[in-house]
Amino acid sequence: MEDKAGIKKPKIECVNISKHFMEGQEKNHVLDTIDLSVRENEFIVILGPGQSGKSTLLKIIAGLYKPSTGNAYLDGKEITHPGPDRGIVFQRYTLFPWKTVMGNVEMGPKLRGVPRKERRRLAQHYIELVGLKGFEKAYPHQLSGGMKQRVGIARAYVNNPKVMLLDEPFGQLDAQTRYFMEEETVRIWETEKRTVIFVTNNIEEAVYLGDRIVVLEGKLPGRMKKIYDVNLPRPRDYTDPAFLDLRHLITEETELTL
Amino acid sequence: MSNEALVNNSPVTEKPRTFGEFISALFKNVYVLYAISIISFLLIWDVLSVMQVLGRFLPRPVEVLYQLYDMLLNPLAGKTLMMHLWFSLRRVLIAFAIAVVIGVPIGLAMGFSPYFNAFVKPVFDLFKPMPPIAWISLAILWFGIGEMSKIFIIIIGAVVPCIINSYNGIRLVDPEMYDCIRMLGGNKRQEVIEVTFPAAFPAIFAGIQISLSMAWTTVLAAELVGAREGMGFIIITGMNQSKPAMIISGMVVIALTAWAISMLVTHAERWVCPWKTKLE
Repeated sequence: MEDKAGIKKPKIECVNISKHFMEGQEKNHVLDTIDLSVRENEFIVILGPGQSGKSTLLKIIAGLYKPSTGNAYLDGKEITHPGPDRGIVFQRYTLFPWKTVMGNVEMGPKLRGVPRKERRRLAQHYIELVGLKGFEKAYPHQLSGGMKQRVGIARAYVNNPKVMLLDEPFGQLDAQTRYFMEEETVRIWETEKRTVIFVTNNIEEAVYLGDRIVVLEGKLPGRMKKIYDVNLPRPRDYTDPAFLDLRHLITEETELTL
Repeated sequence: MSNEALVNNSPVTEKPRTFGEFISALFKNVYVLYAISIISFLLIWDVLSVMQVLGRFLPRPVEVLYQLYDMLLNPLAGKTLMMHLWFSLRRVLIAFAIAVVIGVPIGLAMGFSPYFNAFVKPVFDLFKPMPPIAWISLAILWFGIGEMSKIFIIIIGAVVPCIINSYNGIRLVDPEMYDCIRMLGGNKRQEVIEVTFPAAFPAIFAGIQISLSMAWTTVLAAELVGAREGMGFIIITGMNQSKPAMIISGMVVIALTAWAISMLVTHAERWVCPWKTKLE
């Protein structure tokens, strides 16, 4: 996958994106001149500490924010609105608490007017893909954090999106569950390949998941500092020397900016 | 860690072995403590009454019980206790229904439209802190001392929480829910149906709950002035005839009814918002 960039058209392209928010009279500059292209079925991780603008970048690609300058493109078309061709997974899960697992997952097809029987079948497939078989009738408050996020992933996947956007999805989980969910993420991604943009502040998670890692500078406005190619075979091993080397390299080079 | 270690470390599961342990376990039982609480309250009340600490106007608990029994069988002003209770309840239910029908849509409209909110809010804020009882004299001048004036006062009291909670319920929906439904492909109408209403529903329901207890409080005030039936009438008659037992038995019935209503509403909530109350 490494050398196809020039041949294939990029799936997602960010051209000269910057973003500022107005806070009263003050301009709060969050992102500066981001240029990034993401290939089809690539797993790209955007890595940066808190307050580096990484979530803002994700929300621009989602179409939830408009960039102040520049544009984001999906399959060559400018992104102007949120839409079901991009599936999003939130850090705070943001499930619908009044819906069961099934009700949450089938929401996308329901909004598109897919008949009940058909959307149930679709949702069932993705509920099983994320390993929640048997929990279809449970409400979100009855689930653990990791299970909630599985629902979040299934809910985004069920729309058959071109791109999956994950915004620090495992930030609220304990370390043990987090490792497990990272493995699950790779398993799900390898079962049904999608272009993935995964935002995190965790270097180990980035190295475990990413085909490429985009590191943002650790202060506002967020700028791209460096892109790392991760050429480790999957499934990756957290204790593999090559894994640890890359982890050390990124850690050292990141610390310089903090 | 073995299972044995777990059991040995948890004295809670052990059966009491000696008489002393049995007694101490007994006093840690909440239901036993509830019973002790009620019995000692009645005892203190009885002692205060017998010693005439508050003069002769504090009846003994048994006298109140007898008065209740008497009113259940023998009519007061032509009506038994149950009929008086029914008159009060009917006023509450009519006024409460009207208050919900008026208040919830106004609150929703305020939540949805900032322009409507700006238009309504100054007047609403002016009337909001006014206690409904302050309207009694005016209501009697306008509507006479019949049903109309009482229902009017109850509506005034009950409509406020309906408006406030509906408004806040809409306003305080987590904005990320909207992001989420938009990303899933929802249009404006679907946002309202799939997110706004269900997300605001618990707050609106809580408003309705408060409104019902407000209505029950207000009906008594309304009945204290110029009523010929109802729980407020029983209390005011007790005062006029110097029968404190009648007053207290009226109060007891009022409290029991309020408690029954709140139990009903709690069950209704469990039924309509299962996602809210299923665990804990």
